[in-house]
Amino acid sequence: MECLDANFPVCHRKVSLEIKGNKTEIVICSYDDHILVIATQIGAMGTILHARKEEGMSVEPTFSVSVIFGKRDEPMLVATARRLIDHISSHVPSKPLILSLGLKDHSSETLKEIVAAVDR
Amino acid sequence: METEYDQVLHSVAQVKIADQINDSGDVNRDEDGVKVSCFTEVFDDVTLQFQIIRLTKQIYVWIGYNSAKFGNLYAAASTRPSNTVSVTSVLGGTSDNTGSGIARRLVMKAGLNIILACNIPKNNPLLEAKAEKMLIRKLIDLGYTMPTPLRAT
Repeated sequence: MECLDANFPVCHRKVSLEIKGNKTEIVICSYDDHILVIATQIGAMGTILHARKEEGMSVEPTFSVSVIFGKRDEPMLVATARRLIDHISSHVPSKPLILSLGLKDHSSETLKEIVAAVDR
Repeated sequence: METEYDQVLHSVAQVKIADQINDSGDVNRDEDGVKVSCFTEVFDDVTLQFQIIRLTKQIYVWIGYNSAKFGNLYAAASTRPSNTVSVTSVLGGTSDNTGSGIARRLVMKAGLNIILACNIPKNNPLLEAKAEKMLIRKLIDLGYTMPTPLRAT
Protein backbone atom coordinates (compact mmCIF):
# COMPACT_ATOMS: atom_id res chain seq x y z
CA MET A 1 0.00 0.00 0.00
CA GLU A 2 1.47 3.32 -0.92
CA CYS A 3 1.96 5.79 1.88
CA LEU A 4 0.63 9.17 0.91
CA ASP A 5 2.46 10.76 3.81
CA ALA A 6 5.84 9.24 4.63
CA ASN A 7 5.96 10.82 8.10
CA PHE A 8 2.66 9.46 9.25
CA PRO A 9 2.71 5.92 10.63
CA VAL A 10 -0.67 4.97 9.20
CA CYS A 11 -0.70 4.35 5.45
CA HIS A 12 -3.92 4.96 3.63
CA ARG A 13 -5.24 4.64 0.11
CA LYS A 14 -8.35 6.22 -1.41
CA VAL A 15 -10.30 4.80 -4.34
CA SER A 16 -13.26 6.42 -5.99
CA LEU A 17 -15.43 4.46 -8.40
CA GLU A 18 -18.95 4.09 -9.67
CA ILE A 19 -20.91 0.93 -9.00
CA LYS A 20 -24.28 0.53 -10.69
CA GLY A 21 -24.60 4.28 -10.99
CA ASN A 22 -23.77 4.95 -7.33
CA LYS A 23 -20.66 6.93 -6.50
CA THR A 24 -18.58 4.79 -4.15
CA GLU A 25 -15.66 5.97 -2.06
CA ILE A 26 -13.29 3.41 -0.60
CA VAL A 27 -10.61 4.22 1.95
CA ILE A 28 -8.14 1.60 3.13
CA CYS A 29 -6.00 2.33 6.20
CA SER A 30 -3.29 0.15 7.62
CA TYR A 31 -2.67 0.38 11.35
CA ASP A 32 -0.16 -1.62 13.40
CA ASP A 33 -2.68 -4.22 14.42
CA HIS A 34 -5.70 -3.79 12.14
CA ILE A 35 -6.66 -3.01 8.59
CA LEU A 36 -9.58 -0.64 8.17
CA VAL A 37 -11.62 -0.60 4.97
CA ILE A 38 -14.40 1.97 4.57
CA ALA A 39 -16.68 1.62 1.54
CA THR A 40 -19.41 4.21 1.38
CA GLN A 41 -22.12 5.29 -1.03
CA ILE A 42 -24.30 7.04 1.54
CA GLY A 43 -21.77 9.40 3.09
CA ALA A 44 -21.63 7.42 6.32
CA MET A 45 -19.82 4.37 7.58
CA GLY A 46 -22.96 2.22 7.77
CA THR A 47 -22.53 -1.29 9.08
CA ILE A 48 -19.19 -2.10 10.70
CA LEU A 49 -17.87 -5.66 10.66
CA HIS A 50 -14.90 -7.27 12.31
CA ALA A 51 -13.13 -10.21 10.69
CA ARG A 52 -10.10 -12.16 11.81
CA LYS A 53 -8.23 -15.24 10.73
CA GLU A 54 -7.66 -17.79 13.42
CA GLU A 55 -4.69 -20.10 13.08
CA GLY A 56 -5.78 -23.34 14.54
CA MET A 57 -4.32 -26.80 14.80
CA SER A 58 -5.74 -27.93 11.50
CA VAL A 59 -4.21 -27.09 8.15
CA GLU A 60 -7.24 -25.13 7.06
CA PRO A 61 -7.48 -21.70 8.68
CA THR A 62 -10.75 -20.60 10.21
CA PHE A 63 -12.21 -17.14 10.01
CA SER A 64 -14.31 -15.34 12.53
CA VAL A 65 -16.55 -12.63 11.09
CA SER A 66 -19.10 -10.61 13.02
CA VAL A 67 -21.12 -7.43 12.70
CA ILE A 68 -20.12 -5.07 15.49
CA PHE A 69 -22.30 -2.10 14.56
CA GLY A 70 -25.33 -1.83 12.30
CA LYS A 71 -27.32 -4.36 10.30
CA ARG A 72 -27.02 -7.84 11.67
CA ASP A 73 -29.46 -9.49 9.29
CA GLU A 74 -27.59 -9.09 6.02
CA PRO A 75 -25.58 -12.24 5.29
CA MET A 76 -24.10 -10.70 2.13
CA LEU A 77 -22.22 -8.15 4.22
CA VAL A 78 -20.75 -10.93 6.36
CA ALA A 79 -19.83 -12.82 3.19
CA THR A 80 -18.06 -9.74 1.83
CA ALA A 81 -16.05 -9.36 5.02
CA ARG A 82 -15.17 -13.05 4.90
CA ARG A 83 -14.00 -12.71 1.28
CA LEU A 84 -11.88 -9.67 2.10
CA ILE A 85 -10.20 -11.13 5.20
CA ASP A 86 -9.38 -14.20 3.14
CA HIS A 87 -7.60 -12.03 0.61
CA ILE A 88 -5.97 -9.66 3.11
CA SER A 89 -4.71 -12.42 5.38
CA SER A 90 -2.78 -13.89 2.47
CA HIS A 91 -0.80 -10.63 2.32
CA VAL A 92 -0.76 -9.56 5.96
CA PRO A 93 -1.41 -12.66 8.03
CA SER A 94 -1.72 -11.26 11.52
CA LYS A 95 -3.97 -8.27 11.03
CA PRO A 96 -7.71 -8.50 11.56
CA LEU A 97 -9.99 -6.48 9.34
CA ILE A 98 -12.48 -3.82 10.26
CA LEU A 99 -14.83 -3.31 7.37
CA SER A 100 -17.37 -0.55 7.16
CA LEU A 101 -20.02 -0.80 4.46
CA GLY A 102 -22.34 2.15 3.94
CA LEU A 103 -24.07 1.05 0.78
CA LYS A 104 -27.29 1.97 -1.00
CA ASP A 105 -27.86 -1.60 -2.09
CA HIS A 106 -26.48 -4.87 -0.81
CA SER A 107 -26.64 -6.80 -4.05
CA SER A 108 -23.93 -9.30 -4.81
CA GLU A 109 -22.78 -7.31 -7.87
CA THR A 110 -22.10 -4.24 -5.75
CA LEU A 111 -20.24 -6.25 -3.13
CA LYS A 112 -18.20 -8.10 -5.75
CA GLU A 113 -17.10 -4.78 -7.25
CA ILE A 114 -16.07 -3.53 -3.83
CA VAL A 115 -14.02 -6.66 -3.17
CA ALA A 116 -12.40 -6.28 -6.60
CA ALA A 117 -11.56 -2.62 -5.93
CA VAL A 118 -9.98 -3.43 -2.57
CA ASP A 119 -8.07 -6.36 -4.05
CA ARG A 120 -6.48 -4.00 -6.52
CA MET B 1 -40.44 47.90 -15.02
CA GLU B 2 -37.13 46.74 -13.65
CA THR B 3 -34.19 48.90 -14.56
CA GLU B 4 -30.78 47.46 -15.15
CA TYR B 5 -29.78 48.88 -11.79
CA ASP B 6 -32.59 46.94 -10.11
CA GLN B 7 -31.51 43.77 -11.87
CA VAL B 8 -27.95 44.16 -10.64
CA LEU B 9 -29.13 44.82 -7.09
CA HIS B 10 -31.32 41.75 -7.25
CA SER B 11 -28.45 39.52 -8.34
CA VAL B 12 -26.19 40.95 -5.63
CA ALA B 13 -28.86 40.16 -3.04
CA GLN B 14 -28.95 36.59 -4.30
CA VAL B 15 -25.19 36.27 -3.87
CA LYS B 16 -25.53 37.32 -0.22
CA ILE B 17 -28.15 34.65 0.45
CA ALA B 18 -25.89 31.96 -1.05
CA ASP B 19 -23.04 33.08 1.26
CA GLN B 20 -25.34 32.75 4.27
CA ILE B 21 -26.19 29.19 3.36
CA ASN B 22 -22.50 28.31 3.14
CA ASP B 23 -21.86 30.03 6.44
CA SER B 24 -24.33 27.76 8.17
CA GLY B 25 -21.48 25.36 8.69
CA ASP B 26 -22.55 22.74 6.17
CA VAL B 27 -19.68 21.55 4.08
CA ASN B 28 -20.28 22.42 0.45
CA ARG B 29 -22.74 19.78 -0.72
CA ASP B 30 -21.15 19.64 -4.13
CA GLU B 31 -17.99 18.27 -2.59
CA ASP B 32 -18.82 14.63 -2.52
CA GLY B 33 -15.44 13.08 -1.97
CA VAL B 34 -14.04 11.66 1.18
CA LYS B 35 -11.40 13.87 2.74
CA VAL B 36 -8.58 12.37 4.77
CA SER B 37 -6.46 14.61 7.02
CA CYS B 38 -3.50 13.36 9.03
CA PHE B 39 -1.35 15.26 11.48
CA THR B 40 1.00 14.68 14.39
CA GLU B 41 1.52 16.62 17.61
CA VAL B 42 4.48 16.07 19.90
CA PHE B 43 4.73 17.33 23.45
CA ASP B 44 6.30 16.16 26.74
CA ASP B 45 7.83 13.02 25.15
CA VAL B 46 4.40 12.02 23.93
CA THR B 47 3.54 11.70 20.26
CA LEU B 48 -0.12 11.98 19.36
CA GLN B 49 -1.16 11.14 15.84
CA PHE B 50 -4.54 12.12 14.44
CA GLN B 51 -6.33 10.90 11.37
CA ILE B 52 -9.61 12.53 10.39
CA ILE B 53 -11.71 11.04 7.61
CA ARG B 54 -14.56 13.31 6.67
CA LEU B 55 -17.54 11.57 5.12
CA THR B 56 -20.59 13.56 4.07
CA LYS B 57 -22.67 12.69 7.12
CA GLN B 58 -20.09 11.34 9.53
CA ILE B 59 -16.59 11.93 10.73
CA TYR B 60 -14.19 9.11 11.52
CA VAL B 61 -11.28 9.99 13.80
CA TRP B 62 -8.31 7.93 14.89
CA ILE B 63 -6.08 9.07 17.74
CA GLY B 64 -2.76 7.28 18.10
CA TYR B 65 -0.64 7.51 21.27
CA ASN B 66 3.02 6.75 20.51
CA SER B 67 2.05 3.94 18.14
CA ALA B 68 -0.15 3.15 15.18
CA LYS B 69 -2.34 0.67 17.03
CA PHE B 70 -6.01 0.94 16.22
CA GLY B 71 -7.21 1.04 19.83
CA ASN B 72 -10.79 1.08 21.03
CA LEU B 73 -13.64 2.03 18.75
CA TYR B 74 -16.55 4.20 19.88
CA ALA B 75 -19.60 5.44 18.02
CA ALA B 76 -21.39 8.58 19.16
CA ALA B 77 -24.45 10.35 17.78
CA SER B 78 -27.10 12.78 18.85
CA THR B 79 -30.32 11.01 19.59
CA ARG B 80 -33.89 12.20 19.42
CA PRO B 81 -35.96 13.80 20.82
CA SER B 82 -33.81 16.21 22.73
CA ASN B 83 -30.51 15.95 20.82
CA THR B 84 -28.69 14.40 23.76
CA VAL B 85 -25.52 12.69 22.65
CA SER B 86 -25.21 8.96 23.17
CA VAL B 87 -21.98 7.02 22.88
CA THR B 88 -21.29 3.30 22.74
CA SER B 89 -18.20 1.16 22.69
CA VAL B 90 -18.10 -0.79 19.43
CA LEU B 91 -14.77 -2.60 19.66
CA GLY B 92 -12.45 -3.01 22.62
CA GLY B 93 -13.11 -0.56 25.40
CA THR B 94 -12.11 -1.24 28.98
CA SER B 95 -14.39 -0.26 31.82
CA ASP B 96 -13.02 3.25 31.97
CA ASN B 97 -13.97 4.04 28.37
CA THR B 98 -10.99 6.19 27.53
CA GLY B 99 -12.05 8.10 24.50
CA SER B 100 -15.81 7.85 24.88
CA GLY B 101 -15.93 11.30 26.42
CA ILE B 102 -13.98 12.69 23.49
CA ALA B 103 -16.42 11.09 21.06
CA ARG B 104 -19.40 12.61 22.90
CA ARG B 105 -17.98 16.10 22.92
CA LEU B 106 -16.95 15.87 19.28
CA VAL B 107 -20.55 15.19 18.31
CA MET B 108 -21.61 18.25 20.27
CA LYS B 109 -19.07 20.39 18.45
CA ALA B 110 -19.38 18.94 14.96
CA GLY B 111 -23.10 18.15 14.86
CA LEU B 112 -22.31 14.98 12.92
CA ASN B 113 -22.12 11.37 14.00
CA ILE B 114 -18.62 10.45 15.11
CA ILE B 115 -16.77 7.16 14.96
CA LEU B 116 -13.64 7.42 17.09
CA ALA B 117 -10.78 4.96 17.38
CA CYS B 118 -8.36 5.79 20.16
CA ASN B 119 -5.47 3.95 21.80
CA ILE B 120 -4.77 6.43 24.59
CA PRO B 121 -3.99 4.47 27.77
CA LYS B 122 -6.50 4.55 30.59
CA ASN B 123 -6.23 6.63 33.75
CA ASN B 124 -4.76 9.55 31.87
CA PRO B 125 -7.41 12.27 31.84
CA LEU B 126 -4.91 15.06 31.17
CA LEU B 127 -3.69 13.36 28.04
CA GLU B 128 -7.25 12.76 26.92
CA ALA B 129 -8.09 16.41 27.46
CA LYS B 130 -5.01 17.54 25.52
CA ALA B 131 -5.80 15.23 22.63
CA GLU B 132 -9.37 16.45 22.57
CA LYS B 133 -8.31 20.08 22.56
CA MET B 134 -5.93 19.52 19.62
CA LEU B 135 -8.54 17.59 17.74
CA ILE B 136 -11.22 20.20 18.19
CA ARG B 137 -8.84 22.95 17.13
CA LYS B 138 -8.07 21.02 13.96
CA LEU B 139 -11.73 20.33 13.27
CA ILE B 140 -12.45 24.03 13.55
CA ASP B 141 -9.55 24.79 11.20
CA LEU B 142 -10.86 22.30 8.69
CA GLY B 143 -14.35 23.76 8.94
CA TYR B 144 -16.00 20.59 10.18
CA THR B 145 -17.59 22.12 13.27
CA MET B 146 -20.95 23.82 13.64
CA PRO B 147 -21.12 27.49 14.53
CA THR B 148 -23.56 26.73 17.37
CA PRO B 149 -22.66 23.44 19.05
CA LEU B 150 -25.32 21.01 20.25
CA ARG B 151 -26.16 21.53 23.86
CA ALA B 152 -25.79 18.77 26.41
CA THR B 153 -29.09 18.40 28.24
